[in-house]
Amino acid sequence: MATPLPINMRRLTHIAGFELVRMFLTKRGLIALAAFALVWLIILRYPIGQAVSIISAPDFEQLARDISGSIGLSKLLDWPESEFAMYWLIALYSFPLFAIFICSDQTVGDRERGTLRFLSLRSTRFEILFGRFLGQLAVLACLVGITLIATLAVLGFREPSLLAGGFFRALSIFLTLVVTLSPFVALMSLINTIARSSRLAIVLAILYFAGGGIVVGILAWQIPALNALDYLFPGVNSELLAGQNLPIMTALGVPLLQSVALIAIGHRIFTRSSL
Amino acid sequence: MKSLITASGLSKSYGGKQALNNVNFEIKQGAPVALVGPNGAGKTTLFSLLCGYINPSHGELSILGHKPGSAALFNKVSALPQDAQLDPRFNIDKQLAFYGKLQGMSTKQSHNEALRVLDLVGLKEVAKQRAGDLSHGMRKRVTIAQALIGAPQIVMLDEATAGLDPIHAREVRELVSSLSSEATFILSSHDLTELERLCSQVLHLDKGILSEHQTKENNTDKHFYTLMLNEAYQNVEQQLQLLAGVSRVYMSQHKEYVVEYQPSNEPLDIALLNFCHQQNWQYRQLVNGHTLENQIFKQEKV
Repeated sequence: MATPLPINMRRLTHIAGFELVRMFLTKRGLIALAAFALVWLIILRYPIGQAVSIISAPDFEQLARDISGSIGLSKLLDWPESEFAMYWLIALYSFPLFAIFICSDQTVGDRERGTLRFLSLRSTRFEILFGRFLGQLAVLACLVGITLIATLAVLGFREPSLLAGGFFRALSIFLTLVVTLSPFVALMSLINTIARSSRLAIVLAILYFAGGGIVVGILAWQIPALNALDYLFPGVNSELLAGQNLPIMTALGVPLLQSVALIAIGHRIFTRSSL
Repeated sequence: MKSLITASGLSKSYGGKQALNNVNFEIKQGAPVALVGPNGAGKTTLFSLLCGYINPSHGELSILGHKPGSAALFNKVSALPQDAQLDPRFNIDKQLAFYGKLQGMSTKQSHNEALRVLDLVGLKEVAKQRAGDLSHGMRKRVTIAQALIGAPQIVMLDEATAGLDPIHAREVRELVSSLSSEATFILSSHDLTELERLCSQVLHLDKGILSEHQTKENNTDKHFYTLMLNEAYQNVEQQLQLLAGVSRVYMSQHKEYVVEYQPSNEPLDIALLNFCHQQNWQYRQLVNGHTLENQIFKQEKV
């Protein structure tokens, strides 16, 4: 079997780059992209486009503050760029779900078709697994970037003086969001090594979150220390992260560590599996 | 000759089923090597082991001094795995160029290489088509083309001509023959005539057990001719037995006779052909030795 190290960066880049081609230059990828664009047009037009009137309306401001405070979102109300506050909440919860769907076929389709057999004669299995992970993350990063630029445009249209601050806000959101998404992509990389189709990969991911959540909940109820098992799930800190109430090291460190662990497990399974 | 592949005590089991049982062989640089055997004999398992797609249960396998699938073999070993397909959503030149890039070529080199190998299999004109739009035979030829990217030292083709029409099957055979000075081919096929033409070493697998045959070298020492006639004539065996030097004649299959003889100053092949001419027998082929098919499947008579 192929040895995982050393990694050939050139091959890794080619494999990751090919994922971008797959997303943006194939019919299936373009259909997914069109659906994504349509959904985000509606989001940009309504919740984000009307964010200021919703949040700043005198009648609703106190109510919004009360509600936001009780669910830990009061810091978001202090953002002058209200569009980004709305964007942040929607993106934080919708992108992980979207990631599970679009990253559902990282290696499984190629393995079932036999295409991985051609690839594995030219690159190590780790390069294939990690390259595909990076490629899918790059696709998501592109989509996050595009939606952020669109949100920035909405903000600039409303209040041009907020553009500079909005730009840095967008950069911060971009970084946090991409890192937050990475364990979701890594989880799909791992599930791809055991699933037999992309649909099954999605089902297994849902079972992992739903079934796993129930099991951990029961275990933690019996032994409170087992609450730590929550860290097995990507997005474990989403609630705190949504209100910007998480230290930056935790916000970035936990998802990165989860990604490393998931990719390591995925690699272990992938190198031992038959192609 | 340089040893390319060595297998010692190689076994592979799937659950309780043993696909390969203590297989030992050595493949040296040179003429193509054939891997033959009935369905389920373990050919594809052996190919998969050679390519590093699966791990052996026991034993050692070394290719150019490395474990199968190791990074050191990239660009040196290529293969056409059975039933493997390219991604149907992409143009074939894009996919082959991508493989070229993974093998270390620049964008331009990989594009040129993709066109070169497509030209070798007669598909340069459809380079811009998606794999999913091609016929089964064309897709097969594209997958053969991917195995020729770069300058591999070992090319393994599993059932390369299966599903191809006779013209293209012949072209693939000619291609293998013309490239066999640059790379050592390992071919698996059910077409023994095809393998006999191309290969000197034959690895015969049956129920996971390997035996070796030589298609050319050993045959000449065993003093046999195989005569294939166009029609089923009367008393052929008895009449051939009368020729000087012939020690035994038997019918190996319909219209095919194996003639065992003692070497003498008089060349028997000439005498055989003369005899056919005198008897007004139309012959189709005279093989010096046993056919590969007879070597493998009629050993009880040999």
